[in-house]
Amino acid sequence: MSIHTPTAEKPLPDFDIVSTYRSILAGDNELTMPVAAIEALVEAIAHSSVSTVAETLALLAHHTAVLKASIANPISLSAGTDLFQRYLVTTLNRPAALNLGPDDDFRAIRNHLLSNGRLFVERAKQSREKIASFGKHFIRDGATVLTNGGSRVVGALLRRAAESSTMRFKVVYVHSGSKSSDAQEGDQTVADLRAHNVPVATITNAAVAYSLEKVDMVIVGAEGVVENGGIISRLGTYQMGLLAKSKGKPFYVVAESHKFVRLYPLSQFDLPIDQKVLEFQVADDTKAVEDEGVADVNATQSKCSGLNADDAVDFTPPDLISGIITESGVLTPSAVSEELIKIWF
Amino acid sequence: MAQGITPLAPGLTSFLKSLKSTPADPSVEHLISLLKRRQIRNSRPCAIATTALMLRVVGEFKGRDAAKLVERIRQVGRRLTAAQPREVVVGNIVRRVLGLVREVLDDNTGGDSYAGSDAGHNTPSQHDSMTRPTLHSSISTFSPLRHAATELMDASMTSDMSDSSELSRRPPLLTSHTSYAPTSSAPLVNSLFGLFSQPADSNASTPTGQASPDGKTAQSLNLERLADLSRSSNIDLKGEVMDGIRELQDELDQSDEQIASVALEHIHSNEIILTHTASTTVQKFLLSAAKKRKFTVVHAETYPHDNAATHGILLTGRKRETRLDEDEDPWKPLTSVGIPVYVIPDSHVFAIMSRVNKVILATHTVLANGGLVAAAGAHMIAKAAKEHQTPVVVLSGVYKLSPVYPFDIDELIEYGDAGMVVPYEDGEFVDKVDVEHPLYDYVPADLVDLYITNLGGHAPSYLYRIVADHYRTEDITL
Repeated sequence: MSIHTPTAEKPLPDFDIVSTYRSILAGDNELTMPVAAIEALVEAIAHSSVSTVAETLALLAHHTAVLKASIANPISLSAGTDLFQRYLVTTLNRPAALNLGPDDDFRAIRNHLLSNGRLFVERAKQSREKIASFGKHFIRDGATVLTNGGSRVVGALLRRAAESSTMRFKVVYVHSGSKSSDAQEGDQTVADLRAHNVPVATITNAAVAYSLEKVDMVIVGAEGVVENGGIISRLGTYQMGLLAKSKGKPFYVVAESHKFVRLYPLSQFDLPIDQKVLEFQVADDTKAVEDEGVADVNATQSKCSGLNADDAVDFTPPDLISGIITESGVLTPSAVSEELIKIWF
Repeated sequence: MAQGITPLAPGLTSFLKSLKSTPADPSVEHLISLLKRRQIRNSRPCAIATTALMLRVVGEFKGRDAAKLVERIRQVGRRLTAAQPREVVVGNIVRRVLGLVREVLDDNTGGDSYAGSDAGHNTPSQHDSMTRPTLHSSISTFSPLRHAATELMDASMTSDMSDSSELSRRPPLLTSHTSYAPTSSAPLVNSLFGLFSQPADSNASTPTGQASPDGKTAQSLNLERLADLSRSSNIDLKGEVMDGIRELQDELDQSDEQIASVALEHIHSNEIILTHTASTTVQKFLLSAAKKRKFTVVHAETYPHDNAATHGILLTGRKRETRLDEDEDPWKPLTSVGIPVYVIPDSHVFAIMSRVNKVILATHTVLANGGLVAAAGAHMIAKAAKEHQTPVVVLSGVYKLSPVYPFDIDELIEYGDAGMVVPYEDGEFVDKVDVEHPLYDYVPADLVDLYITNLGGHAPSYLYRIVADHYRTEDITL
């Protein structure tokens, strides 16, 4: 399924970035999309014979475009590809004041990337553990935590908190009720917590407001943390944020910093993805009327089907978020843009 | 304000006096007992006492081994904070002294091997400030940027200061920087690029799961490294650290004046300003504005724990129990410079808030998330101000800014003598009713509009950055 984007580059040797990405992601269910994307790009560079900076960047741009076009929701993924691209740009463009010539420098970096592919993955997993070990302090004895979705970071955090025997806490888990892979991961988290003797109540999205009175804090994961400090997360997170705010409950986000993505959505419908959530219809069986509100940024990418409600995401604005727990500490939402600015400008 | 303490009773003055003639160890014990008995209390006295003690501890430290010095300071710090965990300032000062030691080491080792850390610090940041001034405007004078409160920085990074200062900047777009020499072919590592850093320092520079949660591994690595450095280099560690501590003392002395110097930007003619409790910082701020402007002050008296001090500051311009034997600048009450002052009980705050133009709060401690702990009643005032859309300005020296994250707010609130609410003589009442007397309030960050520190004005959401500027990440857990 090699896809050729209409870019002006010469056709590249057929390396199937998409299937590489998918197999990397399938091979390790602990892996997040951004890291899998980085892995796939490293593979791509390994399979090519590029020898200059410009070639590398062109190759990267090509593969990134192909990869983004191939999946329905490339936001999380683009955090990884962007990070990788910026990393290459900044390292490759470093002043030649290094004692190495630029050429040697390039080779050194290439070798570094190729030989340490696994290391990046390990680090990404370690950062999850680090978030867990740090974030567990947020859970106090006797607290009740509301969470949703199958976020592995949240799972790791709750598990870590459960393992420390001094703490007794309860979890209210919002279950989407669907059979999506996300929901299955959520089931796994619930079962895991129950195995650790943590009382878990599963509720539906409709019961969030009802349950909130019994809840001390909300902890959610994120697919992407955007530039203004808001998060993109599975559908239903936004309303949890709104409800938590209205009830004065702290709303924490746990996310690794490689999920920071350079997007600045102002509203739900600014996201550069096509979601089939809001479908106006006059009869059950007629063809769906196109929702005008949905951004048509990717309208040309007719290959990817829109996301249905099970996989859809929403945008939680920064003013609803009390803190973002990353592996580098607890950030306020405004710190996210600073981190991003550091690598982009 | 503990009542009934005369200036002769054990307190800050007596401690500072005895410190001159007592060796460090008994002085540590002395301060611990004073803290435990609450004979030194409130942020400024605690900060002054801790700094003076730190000067003594460092002064008496024998040997050149930086790691041992760090461990010694850390150990004293642990004991002091354990003696009175709610006086967060004590821990802040200890952390800043630790930061000083590390900075001295970094500067010296960095200066030896690299193109000069000063050049590395200054030139690029000037370059940056041309294009993006806001993020760099308040970098403190001595600490490099640290971007997260509890990041476990790697050992090598923190010791290669010129290196890390380079890294914490934006990656250079222009290739014309010559003032810093890149130290290695290691890729730029900042917190987002951490994923890609060279494997050589992987055990330290990355978010490691193997490192113990509270950073013990990183710390011990760091200590080993410090020991190496101090052995190999030839620096007057002690002297430089003591100089740094004296600078810290100057900062404590001057922070009120620095805060007061911006008063005219915030207080305008004919405004009605509401404040509460007795605070020297606020008093000086208002006095400085009163030199040029006429305004009205409404003072909530914070009954029962602070009303005596409040009355004192209104009558004489100083808290009643503060030392008598200082000071070059004369204390005077606001009324003496022609400012009308109204004292109201706390319960009237909401009623009067609609007429107030600005709320100025003093604080006990400012926390890393932008929230603050202040004298009881502050939360109510801030809430009332929010309700009326009245701006809330908090005055605080940077020394009150703590890297502590308020995981549990209740832990931070101290309870005082219930007898001040209802006297114990009122036996019938005391029998039947539970009386509580919290001394502090936690005010969440979203109720505060502006923090004014000795570095300038900051939004609450920006405080994380000032924390990162002032405290080394490896010192967060003492």
